[in-house]
Amino acid sequence: MKITFTINNEERSLEVSSHQRLLDIIRKDLGLTAAKEGCGKGECGACTVLFNGEPVASCLVLAPQADGAEILTVEGLLSREGELHPLQQAFLDAGAVQCGFCIPGSIMTGYRLLQDNPEPEREEVCQALAGNICRCTGYQKIVDAIQLAARRMQAGGDSS
Amino acid sequence: MFGFGYGEGFPDHSIASVEPAGEGRILIRTSAADVGQGVQTVAVQIASEVLKLDPEHFEIVEGDTHTTQNAGSSSATRQTYFTGHAVKEAAEDLLGNIYHYASQEFTTNHPEMGTRDGRIFSHVNSDDEMTIWELKDRLANRGIELKGRGTFFPRTYKPDPETGQSEKVYVGYSYHTQVVEVVVDTVTGQVTVEKAYSAIDAGKAINPAGVEGQVEGGTAQGLGMALMEEQIIEEGRTLNPDMSRYLVPTAVDVPEVETVIVENEDTDGPFGAKGIGEPAMIATAPAIINAIYDAIGVRFYQLPVTPEKIKAALEQN
Ligand code: FES
Ligand code: FES
Repeated sequence: MKITFTINNEERSLEVSSHQRLLDIIRKDLGLTAAKEGCGKGECGACTVLFNGEPVASCLVLAPQADGAEILTVEGLLSREGELHPLQQAFLDAGAVQCGFCIPGSIMTGYRLLQDNPEPEREEVCQALAGNICRCTGYQKIVDAIQLAARRMQAGGDSS
Repeated sequence: MFGFGYGEGFPDHSIASVEPAGEGRILIRTSAADVGQGVQTVAVQIASEVLKLDPEHFEIVEGDTHTTQNAGSSSATRQTYFTGHAVKEAAEDLLGNIYHYASQEFTTNHPEMGTRDGRIFSHVNSDDEMTIWELKDRLANRGIELKGRGTFFPRTYKPDPETGQSEKVYVGYSYHTQVVEVVVDTVTGQVTVEKAYSAIDAGKAINPAGVEGQVEGGTAQGLGMALMEEQIIEEGRTLNPDMSRYLVPTAVDVPEVETVIVENEDTDGPFGAKGIGEPAMIATAPAIINAIYDAIGVRFYQLPVTPEKIKAALEQN
């Protein structure tokens, strides 16, 4: 079947079969490889993308369900000039990335958190991140990065 | 204490080379696998320090049997020590060659020249100046390749088959002490690790943020080992082969870690650095188990100490 959806502000139409997952079409058909497949069953958060504004495990969403949806992945966070989003920059500056596998998911979770809660407490960041498993960092610098981005975005008035 | 490197008579080594490439670029060839622990960053920092040249100029040529030589595995907490050492030697070899050939070009003595930010200059004649890359091109015309090569191949000692003793079992030794604060909920058996303090002997922290990252990650893994991670095998089959049944720590389980880096330099490590990957995690489980003992007076000898085990132990007492 043919589906049409918006991804990273671009409208796309694709021929998909009913058994494909949203993660498959994002990674394989569209070549957007930021979202990762960790477990393939909704347990690790590596495949987190925003789906109509909410974080979802894209490995659990069937491709046909994406018809008419609006999807955002890490690739869509870059500014039009190709500059990194404050969250991405903060992850680099805080040293929050080790192997990087969990990072695109954690960034999307952080992005959604800051929309609702522009100055989250440490506890609140940890709660939000509870569905994004990281085996490398112990989460400390990921939490630091999200709080650093929050402070910078508040100071710079950037609420995107 | 943690002994790193393979030791035990194993021919453990790492080979690296450092060479100027196109204008402004220097290639570091090493097959040391970076799985996120940061060995490539460390290699760039070390070469950058030796050659007095900004890190932006460096590129890593990753493991490929056609283009790199053996660096050994990313295991045994050995890459910063082994590959760091090999890269340092390679960069020093390149620096020596730069001095050797540039002094011929300038017809000066070695002490009368210097290099910085990719420029090579004579202290005697200020007209005598060129970049590393110009020198490389001039030498190429003479059929000479400008590069440096370094190997770290320490002697290791087989243990005595009778006693298990050896002169030096491992290649080097790191130390790590950790203190944790835990709360044990005696109703649910749940253990919460509220805070961890670490003092780790990194020899010399080439990248302090990287050292902290390793300690924080190691603490999370040690916490998992102490309190939740348990593979259940029955008749050869794993009954919990997923992350909803084999639990690993999430952001709500881990404590904030305060890390103090102790720099007790190692004579063989690059700039005194030691390996800290595995030592970063080994202190956590014992610290947590001791803290649980301190809190409820029960000693546990089998990991993980799940809420069920705590409850059962409390009911027995
Ligand atoms: S891959 Fe989707 S949650 Fe793990
Ligand atoms: S950085 Fe490796 S899993 Fe998070």
